[in-house]
Amino acid sequence: MSTQLVHPYEGLFNRVAGIFSIIPSLPDRLSDEDIEGLARLLPAELSKTLKAVLEPGMREGSLAFFKAVGIWADKAAHAKEDGKKVVLMPFNFAPEIIYMFEKAVPVATEMITTLGTVALDKQGDKYWDFALSTGLPDTLCSASAIEIGSLLTGIDFKPDLILSAAPGSCDANSKIHEFAANYLGVPQIMLEKPADTSRRARELYLTYFKAMLREMEEFLGEELDEDRMREVMEKANQAHDLYDELWEYRKMVPSPVPNIFNGFIYGTKYTVWGQDEGITVMQKMVDTCRRRVETGDYPAPREIARTYWAYLFYYYDFMEFFNWMEKRGIAIVGDMPSTWFTKRIDTTSKESMIRDLASNSFDYFMTRQIGGKSILLDWCDDITWACRELSANALIYCGHHSCKQTWSVYSQMRNEFMKRTKIPTLLLQGDMWIKRMTPMSSLHQQIDEFINNVVARPKSSRK
Amino acid sequence: MEDIKTLAEEIQNQYVKKWRDEGGKILGFMCVATPVEIIEAAGILPYRIKAMGSPEKELADAYMSRFNCGFCRSCLQLGLDGTYDFLDGLIETNGCDHLRGMFENWELAKKPAFFHYLRVPHFVRDDSLAAYEEELGLLRDALAEHYAVTIDDEALNVAIATSQDIMGMLRSMNGLRERGEPAITGAEALAVVALSSSMPAQPFKALLEGFLKERSEAKVGGFRARLMLGGAATDELYFVEEIESLGGMVVADTLCYGSRALWSPPDTDGGPLHQLAEGYLRNLNCPRMFKDYEQRRDFVLGTAARAEVDGAVLIHNKFCDLHAVDNVALRVDLESEGVPVLLLEKDYGARADIGRIKTRIQAFLERIGG
Repeated sequence: MSTQLVHPYEGLFNRVAGIFSIIPSLPDRLSDEDIEGLARLLPAELSKTLKAVLEPGMREGSLAFFKAVGIWADKAAHAKEDGKKVVLMPFNFAPEIIYMFEKAVPVATEMITTLGTVALDKQGDKYWDFALSTGLPDTLCSASAIEIGSLLTGIDFKPDLILSAAPGSCDANSKIHEFAANYLGVPQIMLEKPADTSRRARELYLTYFKAMLREMEEFLGEELDEDRMREVMEKANQAHDLYDELWEYRKMVPSPVPNIFNGFIYGTKYTVWGQDEGITVMQKMVDTCRRRVETGDYPAPREIARTYWAYLFYYYDFMEFFNWMEKRGIAIVGDMPSTWFTKRIDTTSKESMIRDLASNSFDYFMTRQIGGKSILLDWCDDITWACRELSANALIYCGHHSCKQTWSVYSQMRNEFMKRTKIPTLLLQGDMWIKRMTPMSSLHQQIDEFINNVVARPKSSRK
Repeated sequence: MEDIKTLAEEIQNQYVKKWRDEGGKILGFMCVATPVEIIEAAGILPYRIKAMGSPEKELADAYMSRFNCGFCRSCLQLGLDGTYDFLDGLIETNGCDHLRGMFENWELAKKPAFFHYLRVPHFVRDDSLAAYEEELGLLRDALAEHYAVTIDDEALNVAIATSQDIMGMLRSMNGLRERGEPAITGAEALAVVALSSSMPAQPFKALLEGFLKERSEAKVGGFRARLMLGGAATDELYFVEEIESLGGMVVADTLCYGSRALWSPPDTDGGPLHQLAEGYLRNLNCPRMFKDYEQRRDFVLGTAARAEVDGAVLIHNKFCDLHAVDNVALRVDLESEGVPVLLLEKDYGARADIGRIKTRIQAFLERIGG
């Protein structure tokens, strides 16, 4: 392994945890002058991100989110001192399951990559390069390969356990986590999603889910405590209620929900769900939207398009991408990770909580659609439903080269979707976490052309 | 041998045509996790879909994308252009993300009379084995209902015995290939295994018997090094021939369309479906399985040791993350056992790429002193 690549820098998680640990100490209310002053103190990249997300129309919710992830990262960074195990999990696993255990804290691979992308000098490029230097292919998902690349250097934090729920819904994600576990000698627990949507599949998944919990109990040396479970689940339920409120705001025209909040919704879900911080962030986002409705605050003269993103966004532009659209009147009313088919947890008993948690995990983003009976139809069904609910008038697919499952059916899914909804679609290509692949200017141009010539163009001017 | 190679390279060979002309039904499958014995017990010919190096993909690209595995796209192309119209139905498996997309598009475009999705677990555990056995029961019932046939344990046991008989003969063939002075080439062995899933069992058995008899005393000489070929779905005979033309004799393989499919009968009680579930799931040795890397590693290391190879070439088709990642881990383990490794990415069926491939093989042969 190329040790020369390792020495000049530190691990991704360590850098992310270090830089984000600053944010929780900021006051809850920041003036424009405060932010300007702060921007001069912070590293340039984080300043750029903070300035983008702390624009007045979204400041309260954004600050709450970054404070929450700061606390989350800090807890993981100090877990060992606190006698806890760090559990590395991919994004399609519910962290509240890990919070149910006294002795464990969750770290989501893709969150670390994303936070590094929005806050660090040269983003995650060198960790990606390191991963490839081991022989791993450049067709892997950068969301996982960047953080895993950092782990492979041996100078980043080392998780105590790797937990993956991706088998059945994403080969690339599952395989690289398995590789990392073997390479680093870290134990691994995996939860498979049967490729089906039937009741039988749900029952089988519950069996697998219970087996996973038993493995976790054994690994942590801790039996799940019903009272602790209930405490975590009640917090998760409170946050879920706030998610439902946000969903109602997303239906409004114009949308009072800042575009970036879609990302913050699932960013919260992947990190502090089931914790006080999760409730705080969701509440602050609801408050921000309520205030925007009350004041009629909207960043553009009018809303010209309501876009729904069929999969993910681009994260490499220090969050300015979202504001760029918003200022043009292009709303992001939703994307797949922020469209949930989960439910409140019945906290009556340990069994009821486990059953509902398994059910929610079955219906988790990507697990539900890609791990369904038919990628094409299950994905299309959910997108169709969401676009109708949210009155979307444009669908954008951000095709990361690694999403082989969605790429394999996108062409026909798009045809089916357009047949059902008559909503126009745009296909973009690029890596969400690596700016070297597709320049942002090219994406801006494609979105502009699509919105102005197809979506927002008056019908009378079409020939 | 020329007959076997010609037969293997023909998608619809004379035996398939004869079967069909006589009113026989044919079902296509692709993944090695598909228990062909259940199909055979229904009196239906199981046919393993392959592309045999066909480079055409333009129709498939309208459905899948260029970020998908070329092998799956080439197979879909043959489905869409009518080459596979002789199939009466398809059995999908969740072999990998690309494969799922291929089958979904094939079903959508061609609407086969029979289509069944066999869900194969990604772990070997008591609960997943039970789930897989249940899946096999669902496949049996779907076949019985659609084709109005009875598939009883007796028929299944006969099919299992026949299948094991053939697998035993194929393992004997590998013995001829792996010995100090190989009796057959790697390309020939790959052709034989490819043909084994492209024609009815009995005539294949007769062909194989003749081939083994003919070759039992043969010696293939003139090579520089003994190689093992491992990795992703590879049915391109020309690819192996090119490697061997440079002096790298492929005396062993761990390929999905090669020796990986030759599992031994399980040591287990229970009915035929239980035996099949145990046999297939425990012997997949495929990176689509999780938490059993050690088994795949031991299979590869064991094959390399048994065949006394001088080096290993681990290949993957572009965009195949499963094999590409696993190959990195296998390289580390093989090299720690003293077996030099060449990791090679190929674009399936792209003969224009063969110059680059040959250069890398030549360099590797020089590196290992062949």
